[in-house]
Amino acid sequence: MKTVLARLLEHPGIWRGRSFTRLDTLSSGFPELDARLAGGGWPKVGLVEILATHLGSGELRLLLPLLATVTQRPQARWCTWIAPPLNPYAPALAARGVNLARMLVVRAAKGPQRAPEWATEQALISGACDVVLTWITDPLRPRIVRRLQLATQRGRTLAFLLRPWSSRVAQEHSPALLRLGIEPRNGGVCLSILKSRGGTMGQWWMALDGAQAQAGG
Amino acid sequence: MAALQLSLAVAPADSPPPAGPPAAPPEQVGHAPAMPELWLGVHLPQPDPALLQRLGVLAQRFTPRVSLEPPDGLVLEVQGSLALFGGAARLYRAFRAGCHAAGAAPVLTLAPTPLAALVAGRSGVSFKVLDSQHLVSAVSTLPLAALRWPPQVLQRLSRLGVYRVGQALRLPRAGFARRFGKETLQMLDQLVARDADLRPLFTVPERFRAKRQFVREREHHGEILQALQPLLRRLAEFLEARQCGITRITCRLRHRNQVHTDCVVRLAQPEAAAARFMEWFAERLGKMALPGPVRSLELRSGELLSRAPVPESLWRPGEHGGGGESGLLSGSLELIERLRMRLGEGAVHGLACEDSHCPEGASRPVSPVAPDFQRDASARPVTRQPARPLWLLEEPQQLREQEGWPQLAGPLRLRHGPERIESHWWEAHGIARDYYHATDGHGIAVWVFRERRPPHRWFLHGLAG
Repeated sequence: MKTVLARLLEHPGIWRGRSFTRLDTLSSGFPELDARLAGGGWPKVGLVEILATHLGSGELRLLLPLLATVTQRPQARWCTWIAPPLNPYAPALAARGVNLARMLVVRAAKGPQRAPEWATEQALISGACDVVLTWITDPLRPRIVRRLQLATQRGRTLAFLLRPWSSRVAQEHSPALLRLGIEPRNGGVCLSILKSRGGTMGQWWMALDGAQAQAGG
Repeated sequence: MAALQLSLAVAPADSPPPAGPPAAPPEQVGHAPAMPELWLGVHLPQPDPALLQRLGVLAQRFTPRVSLEPPDGLVLEVQGSLALFGGAARLYRAFRAGCHAAGAAPVLTLAPTPLAALVAGRSGVSFKVLDSQHLVSAVSTLPLAALRWPPQVLQRLSRLGVYRVGQALRLPRAGFARRFGKETLQMLDQLVARDADLRPLFTVPERFRAKRQFVREREHHGEILQALQPLLRRLAEFLEARQCGITRITCRLRHRNQVHTDCVVRLAQPEAAAARFMEWFAERLGKMALPGPVRSLELRSGELLSRAPVPESLWRPGEHGGGGESGLLSGSLELIERLRMRLGEGAVHGLACEDSHCPEGASRPVSPVAPDFQRDASARPVTRQPARPLWLLEEPQQLREQEGWPQLAGPLRLRHGPERIESHWWEAHGIARDYYHATDGHGIAVWVFRERRPPHRWFLHGLAG
């Protein structure tokens, strides 16, 4: 009975409240996370905000399986890192399956020029990137986030905004598709879904897989 | 003229030998006598392709029919220009003066056929034959070596005692063609105007240049850009018509008192779209401080490069496989260009692994590689090495110690290690470190090391990410 119902619900003519949009997704590589994300993974197109309590909370390891999958594809576009706070370390990335030939690092100093935001928008609308990761520490106005979200649609790109998690940031309205909070805890991470269009909210503890835990996580 | 050349081209090359000295055989009617030609030959004593190119440009002032004979020769047809320059002698002197001004002292010759002019120049004799009736007697004394035939041909001819053009012309044609090849005979025919000699024309590389004078001076970047727009549109049309692109454009802004500012835009790949040019100039001009109001603009293109038109796709890149490979490629480079334009040349880079024992040296920025979509992306070396952090600090950061234990937001908890990394003993500033994976007071996974040499300080070197 259950399977019949499940099959019935897969009918494209039936829309349920929870899945009002059919999302094209990519697996995050973490089953616990996939299960909670709308569509069963990261959206292929759209803006995702990741709020981390500290730099190095595990936000990069969380994205690594996705980056490896995306850059290994035969027609992979750029995987662009904008304004990374430190130097991405090539041997570690290569060892975990990231194709370095598709990596693009953009150094953009923060300031009144808003270079990181500008570079992000350019990367998004160019259509030349599969994934764009942007580190922004300055406060961001929702208007800018909204603009970036629209830019992801133009270039068919997945963008991650990596921002510090302060109580003020957590309070503000976000036009992003998905908003995740990440906090290191007990050798793993405590993840919170703060906003998810078409998905559920929630908070849980997760290990960042065995090999990576060995790496010091 | 072109039609005539064409008819000459199809004239049979191995026509039966003329009965006597060059009384024009009937099948060559409509040849030399109908349209006499006069060629000015230029021979450089030393081969110099660059100088030859310059002389080619100079020769364009005298006639459009210029052809280069690399590495040291050049011929130009001047019959049509004689009236303009007031005769062959004056034209000759004018050309010689031009050569001297260009810093060249070539051997100049005049002959009714280009080959005769070249051969005479190579043999270094003074050769001024204006009339094709005297051509055969004049070329007879020239050495055959100056024709630059293959050495074995010249050797065999020398065994027959044939060293000069005149001797070769007296040999029976059929036998000559059989023994030394049809091409050799054809060259002889071309030398004495029995056969057509069609040469590729030298053309000066095209450039775009446009100027715009303002009625009133302009100060604001916006106004200047606006004035630039029609010029850029003309440039784009110019390029589109030639299916070319350019990688370098210079815009010269002239101010008062002969002062000018050059605004140069360089592109990574040939471009031809006005909108794109406009964008680059907006970017460049916005950053420039102008010394004063602008009176006029001049736009100059760099060298024209052939450009494959990018096929337009209905879909955007990444959408249903839209964009195609070429679109994807050009889009990728365009993004890098745009980012570099604003952020600086070094701001955009790729990453590569370096074979280095030292952790700092194992990762290095490289210039981003153009995507090679044919290559299989999975072809990469799989190295088994101890786990490394995703972030590396530019410089190891010394950690505070409390009671001999490293502190980072509280005492560090070491989880894995040590991994000993040492450089070779002969390196002056070698390293000797014990690396540990650790967790700091916030629970963040870090990569730290302890010096093996006194004073055994602790350093933070990376974050697991």
